[in-house]
Amino acid sequence: MLKKIIARNNITMHGTGSKSMFLVHGYGCDQNMWRFIIPQLKDEYKIILIDLVGSGKSDENSYDLDKYSSLDGYADDIIEICDALNLEDICLVGHSVSAMIGLLTAIKRPSLFKKLIMICPSPRYINSEDYFGGFSQNDIDNLMETLDSNYLGWSSAMAPVIMGNADRPELAAELEESFCQNNPEIARHFAKVTFLGDNRSDLKKLTTDTLIIQSNTDAIASIKVGQFVHDNIADSKLVVLETTGHCPHLSDPNQTVEAMKQYLT
Amino acid sequence: MNFNTDYKELYNNFPSGYFCSLPNGTIVDSNKKFLNLTGYTREELIGEKKFTDFLSLGEKIYFENIYSVALKLSGTIEEINFNFIKKDGTKFPVLINSVEIKDKEGLHLFTQSSVFNISQRKKYEQELLTAKKKANDLSNELIDVNKELLSRAELILKQKLQLEEVNQHLENKNRQLTSFAHIASHDLRAPVGNLLLLKNFYKESTDLEDKAMLFSKVETVIDNLNGTLNELIETVKIQGNKDITHDPIIFDFVFDKTLVILETQILDSKAVVTSNFSEAPNIEYPKLYMESIMLNLLSNSIRYRSPNRIAEIHFCTAVNNNEIMLIAKDNGLGIDLQKHGPKLFGLNNTFHRHPDSKGVGLFMTKTQIEAVGGSITVESEVDKGSTFKIILKKNI
Repeated sequence: MLKKIIARNNITMHGTGSKSMFLVHGYGCDQNMWRFIIPQLKDEYKIILIDLVGSGKSDENSYDLDKYSSLDGYADDIIEICDALNLEDICLVGHSVSAMIGLLTAIKRPSLFKKLIMICPSPRYINSEDYFGGFSQNDIDNLMETLDSNYLGWSSAMAPVIMGNADRPELAAELEESFCQNNPEIARHFAKVTFLGDNRSDLKKLTTDTLIIQSNTDAIASIKVGQFVHDNIADSKLVVLETTGHCPHLSDPNQTVEAMKQYLT
Repeated sequence: MNFNTDYKELYNNFPSGYFCSLPNGTIVDSNKKFLNLTGYTREELIGEKKFTDFLSLGEKIYFENIYSVALKLSGTIEEINFNFIKKDGTKFPVLINSVEIKDKEGLHLFTQSSVFNISQRKKYEQELLTAKKKANDLSNELIDVNKELLSRAELILKQKLQLEEVNQHLENKNRQLTSFAHIASHDLRAPVGNLLLLKNFYKESTDLEDKAMLFSKVETVIDNLNGTLNELIETVKIQGNKDITHDPIIFDFVFDKTLVILETQILDSKAVVTSNFSEAPNIEYPKLYMESIMLNLLSNSIRYRSPNRIAEIHFCTAVNNNEIMLIAKDNGLGIDLQKHGPKLFGLNNTFHRHPDSKGVGLFMTKTQIEAVGGSITVESEVDKGSTFKIILKKNI
């Protein structure tokens, strides 16, 4: 069972600390995106990294369209992983969509959590009359087109690797080195679940201590959205970093780790 | 000719767009081609625009979540397709290669990007995509048609099998009818010829005593003829009976009933009749047929017993290859199968110079058995006895 879960989510463990930190990547990439901050955390924490099912080197065959048609499917996976690894009092760090997955996990099983850290969260990407998410349905359609047009070469070259064709090791090696190459079908589905979802009403259900980290300039999750998340989570703190982009742990790992450590001590 | 490379000149006149941006995306340099492509002046661009300013909102999601992450992690990214927004608001498709320039400590200083206008190629790509989609649609359509054809073929096969079954049934019927017509005409002709002859004698005869004798002969022939006709009518009924009802039958009960009917004959003949139906004690079968089959077989065995020994007759059931069999064995006169085999189950065939021989029983027995889908065979040796083996049914 444990073996199966480890393979399913490509679970890796790092660090020698006693406290557990569970890092969950966002849409589009995989656990590689944590590599700039791990060195600064691994002495203090036992770090658990996963690839969400359908991303990175997770077991693609486990991608069940029904299960993952909402973020609950991923939250259930995290609870399963924590139980299988006997984790407790975790600090879960979720980037982007995984901030929402962390939110759902903490609502389902608050006892697992010590702290929750959300990096650039957004509970809702689509604007409505009384809410600014930053995007319209049209923009998400446009994203789908961009995804499609950038998978043109992918389908023929990578398909054999994805389908477990061992005859062409050079392709596997290429995939090994390439980042953010996910199965186009899954990428499309996950994009819809991510960018068309709405978790605004879940924010108020959260009882876990939460830190929200924002970039001061983020086209995906604006300050306004970060503020909304902060306003709706009872025990939350908002930190805005002086950096640009949706991935501060990549664009400014030092500042990001600093903010995390400050919050956790 | 001296070829002095003027890199600034080369850079500016380079046939693809080039720009350099800070880690926060602000563009700090570009070549002429990039200005041409985007429609901005140098002043409007440098220090004023960011990479993402050329992207739509949907593309920004891709840029933030995939493009810049992959670039950060591997230091380079190639062949990413965006639609760049020009100053006038129109768009053109580009392919972008980017590379991070770092200092000795690994600090990210700039990102250099080259931009290829792929408007023509994109059109072609669109055409290919449209064609591919069309081909996919067609392929799906073909798959559907194929499915439809397969299901129809299956239906046709089913119908064919049904027809074959019906045909088989008709052939059987036809064979039965032919054989029946043959038997009927053959068996009716002899007594009718006999009658004609007797009629002529009767006409020509003047002696009253002769006439009375001839008339009594005519009576006998008519009685026989009537008997034969009745048997024929019975078998026609059996053959015409389509939906025979199957009753739950306990062999012992039917056999006991048969013993009661034939009690006088059994007592007279001193035959020893035994039975053992334990292998298959019961069956679903037409009750009247079973009674008739047992009655015919038992009365035959009694009738054709050997005068030289005590008749021993044994009835039993057996199960063989999922078939229930009824077996009737005697030590009677036996039948010369070489001589009579082919005609054994025909109408009005008798194989014994026996005073009681009537010869209709086996024909009717066979007809009844076959009407239910079974078969009858016989093993026999002259003056040793006969064994009738009846496969009653195959569905157990």
